[in-house]
Amino acid sequence: MTAVTLIHGLNLAAIYGLMAIGISILWSSVGMINMAHGATFAASGYAAWQVSLIAQPLINTWFGTGLDASLVMGATMVASGLVAGALFGGLIFMLAYLPIHEKANFAVRSLIVTLAINLATVQLLLFFFGPRQRALPKIFGFGRTEILGISVRNDQIGTIVATAILMLVVVIWLKRSRKGLEITAMMQNPEGAVLSGISVRWTALPVTMLTGALAGLAAILLSQTVFVSPTAGALPLIKGLTIALLGGLGSLPGAIMGAILIGFLEAIVGSISFLGQRYVLFSQFLFIITVLIIRPRGLGGLLDETRESRNV
Amino acid sequence: MSEMKKLYEIGNRPREVFLSPDGHRPVHKSRVPFSRRHWLKWRSQYNPRSLKLEKRLADKKPLWWLLSLGLLAVVTPFLSNSAITVASIFCMFAAINVLWTLIIGTAGIFSLATLAVVGVSGYAAAAFNVYLGVPWPFMFAIGCLTGLVAGGFLALPSTRLDGLYFALLTLGIVEICRVFVQQLKSLGATNGSINQVDSFIPSDWFLQREGLLLGFAGAFLLLLGALLMFKLVNSERLGMLLRTARDEEAFAEAIGIDYRRARLMVFMVSSAGLGIIGAFYAMYYRSISPSIFSLDQLLLLFAMIVIGGIGRADGAVIGTAIVVLIDKGLLDLGPIRILLVAAIMLLVTLLTNNGLVGARDQFRNFRNRKKSEARARRTEKGGEVMPEEATDMLDKQEIFYRRFNKRLRDELKQLITPELIEEHRAKPLGRHSDALSRVLNYFRRSEMPDKYAIMRQPENFNHYKIVALSGERGAPPRLVDDRLYESLDEAYHAVFLLRVNDLLES
Repeated sequence: MTAVTLIHGLNLAAIYGLMAIGISILWSSVGMINMAHGATFAASGYAAWQVSLIAQPLINTWFGTGLDASLVMGATMVASGLVAGALFGGLIFMLAYLPIHEKANFAVRSLIVTLAINLATVQLLLFFFGPRQRALPKIFGFGRTEILGISVRNDQIGTIVATAILMLVVVIWLKRSRKGLEITAMMQNPEGAVLSGISVRWTALPVTMLTGALAGLAAILLSQTVFVSPTAGALPLIKGLTIALLGGLGSLPGAIMGAILIGFLEAIVGSISFLGQRYVLFSQFLFIITVLIIRPRGLGGLLDETRESRNV
Repeated sequence: MSEMKKLYEIGNRPREVFLSPDGHRPVHKSRVPFSRRHWLKWRSQYNPRSLKLEKRLADKKPLWWLLSLGLLAVVTPFLSNSAITVASIFCMFAAINVLWTLIIGTAGIFSLATLAVVGVSGYAAAAFNVYLGVPWPFMFAIGCLTGLVAGGFLALPSTRLDGLYFALLTLGIVEICRVFVQQLKSLGATNGSINQVDSFIPSDWFLQREGLLLGFAGAFLLLLGALLMFKLVNSERLGMLLRTARDEEAFAEAIGIDYRRARLMVFMVSSAGLGIIGAFYAMYYRSISPSIFSLDQLLLLFAMIVIGGIGRADGAVIGTAIVVLIDKGLLDLGPIRILLVAAIMLLVTLLTNNGLVGARDQFRNFRNRKKSEARARRTEKGGEVMPEEATDMLDKQEIFYRRFNKRLRDELKQLITPELIEEHRAKPLGRHSDALSRVLNYFRRSEMPDKYAIMRQPENFNHYKIVALSGERGAPPRLVDDRLYESLDEAYHAVFLLRVNDLLES
C-alpha cells in the first residue's frame, strides 16, 4: 500500500465516519434510522454554496485576497455548513420525531418519514437549483504539502485534521457537558434515562441537530473534492448507513472502525488498476455482506443488549 | 307486534344489507373447487328482536375486488393508448407489490431485493432468448426458475440477520446486480441493456394499439395470478406459520414451527412468481435495462407499498394505483410528481397507523373512543346497560335484570339513614323495621364473589375477623382488614357497615 493510498483512505474514512457516527448516534439515542441524512448533506452543501456567493465579495472587500481572506472564507463555509445541517436536523426532529415518537412502530415509521423527506428535499433542490453541479470555494487551497517525505494534497490534510478535531470535540462534549451526558445516558439505557428524569423529547432535539451538523460538515469537506448537486447526498447516505450497520448500530467505536475499513477498502480497490473506481461499491457491499453473515450484529455487536425492544 | 313503538336506529345495523332466506329450505353453499372454502362468507342468524332468519355477508371484500378489477378490465380497452400503458404498468407493479407483501408483510422480513429478483430473472430470460434463441414461451419458465434460485439464495441469510441488517444486505445485493450488469463486457455497447427481445406481442403490433391491448391483457392476467398466489400463501397454512413466527422466532420454534423452512418456502414461492413477472417485463418492453436495479425505482416501489399499507394485498394494489397514476399518468408535472408522492407518503405515515387501507378501522376506533368518552361524560351509568351495548348482548334478560338492579339500589340508598345503622348496631339479629329488612334482604341476595363472611380466629374462641369470599372453588377467601372483633354481634355489624359502604359507592 502506497502512502498516497493511505492518505486517500484516511480522507474517505474521515468523511464516511462523520456520516456513520451521525446515523449511529441517532439510532442508539432516539431509535430512528435517519434516511434523510443524505438530504441534510445535500441541503447543507447548497446552503454553504449560497452563503459563499454572498460572502465572497464582502470578504474580498474587507480582507483582500490574501491568507486572511481564505481563512475567513473557510471558517464561514464550515460555520454555514454546520448551521444549515443543524437547522435541517431540527426540521427532521419536527417532522419525523415529534409527531410520531409516541406511536406504535416508531422505528419503521420514522424510517419512512425520513425517506419521504429525503425524496422531497432532493426534488425541491432540483426544482430550485436545477441539476447543474456547483463548486464550493476551496477552503484549504489547491497546493500540496510535504509531510514526512510524502506529498499530500492540502484538502486531504484539512479534511483529516478537521474531522479529527471535530470528532474529539463531539466525544468530549458527549462525555463532559450536561446535555452530552443526557444523550449518552439515552444511548446506553433509554428507559433508565427516562426514569432518572431525562426528557426524551428535549434530548432528541440536540441529538438530531448534532447529527445534522455532522452531516453538514461532511458535506463541506467532501465538496472540496466533488461538486454539490441535488443527488449528492445519496452515496454518502448509503455509505454512512452501511458503515453504521457494519460497525453495529449504536456503537461509536464500531462506526469509526467500520469507516476506516471501508475508507481503506475504497482507496485500495480504486488504486488497483484492473479493478478501478467502478468496482468500489461492488467490493464494499461484498465485504459488508461477508462480515454481516459472519457477525450478524456488525463489528460492535452490542445491539442485542441495547436495542432489543426497538427492532425494526 | 304491530303497535311496537318506533325504534331508534342505533349502531351499524340499520345500514347492513340483509337477505331473508326461506327458513324451511336447507342452506346450500357452493365451494371453491378442490377446497373446502366457500366463495363468499355468508352468515345466517336470527334477528333477536323480530326473530326472523336473516342472511348477512360477513366479508364484503371479495365483492370490492370483483368490482374494481372488473371495472379495470372493462374500461381500459376504451381508453387512449397512453392510458392503456399506464394501466399495464399498474398491473405489473401491483403484481410485484402483492408478491412483495408476502415477504414484507406476511413473513415480516424487510427485503428490498424484490426488484432485483425481477431484474435478474428478466435478464436471464432475455439473455436466453437473444443469445441462445430460446422461443418466448420458454422465457416464463426460465424466469421462474431463475427467480426460484435467487429466492433460495436470498432466504439463506434471512434467518440469521434481522430487520435493518437484512434490508441493508438486500440493498447491497441490488447494488451488486446493477454494477455487475453494467460492467458486463458483452453488454458494453448497449450500456448494459438487452434489446430486441422476442415477445408474446408480435413485432409489427409493438407500440400499436393491438399490441398495447395484448400487453395489458397479459399484465392483467399476471396481476390475477399474483393475487391468487397471495391468497394461497397468505391465508393458508404457510401464511399462518409465517405470521406466528413473525414477531417471536423463539416462541414459534418452541411450539414446533420450523420457521426457517417456512421462510425459505415463502421466499422461493414469491421469487418464482417475481421471476415470471421479470420475464414478462422483458417481453413487454422488448428490452431490459439496468434502470430496474436503480435506487429510485426501489424507493418508488417502497412508497407504493407504504402508502397502501404494509401487509395487505388491497393495500399493495391501492398504493400502486396512486403512485403509478401520479408518476406515469401526470407526466406533464415534471419533478413535482415525485414531490407529490413524497408528500402523500409523509402524510400517510404521520396520520395513519397502517397506510390507507388501515385508515377505515383507525377512524372507526377513533370514533368509538370519542363516542364512549362523550357517553361517559354525560351519563351516570350505575351498572345499567346503555342502548349501544344492548344491541350487542345476546341474552336480553340480562339487560332488564341490570336495569332492575340499578333501580333497586337507587331505592335502597334512600333508606340508609343514621337511625337505620343505629338500629342494626343495637340488634344485628332478630326482628327489624321494614326499611332495615329490605336492605338486609338485598344484601343476602348478593353474588358469591367478594361476599363478606366472618371467620373465627383459630387461637381465640371469641376473636373474629372479616374475610371476603373469592367465589371460585378452591381459591381461598381473602382477609378484608386486620381488625379483630371481640363478639359476634360486633362482627355482624362490621359486615353490615362494609356492605352499606359498597352500596353507597356503587
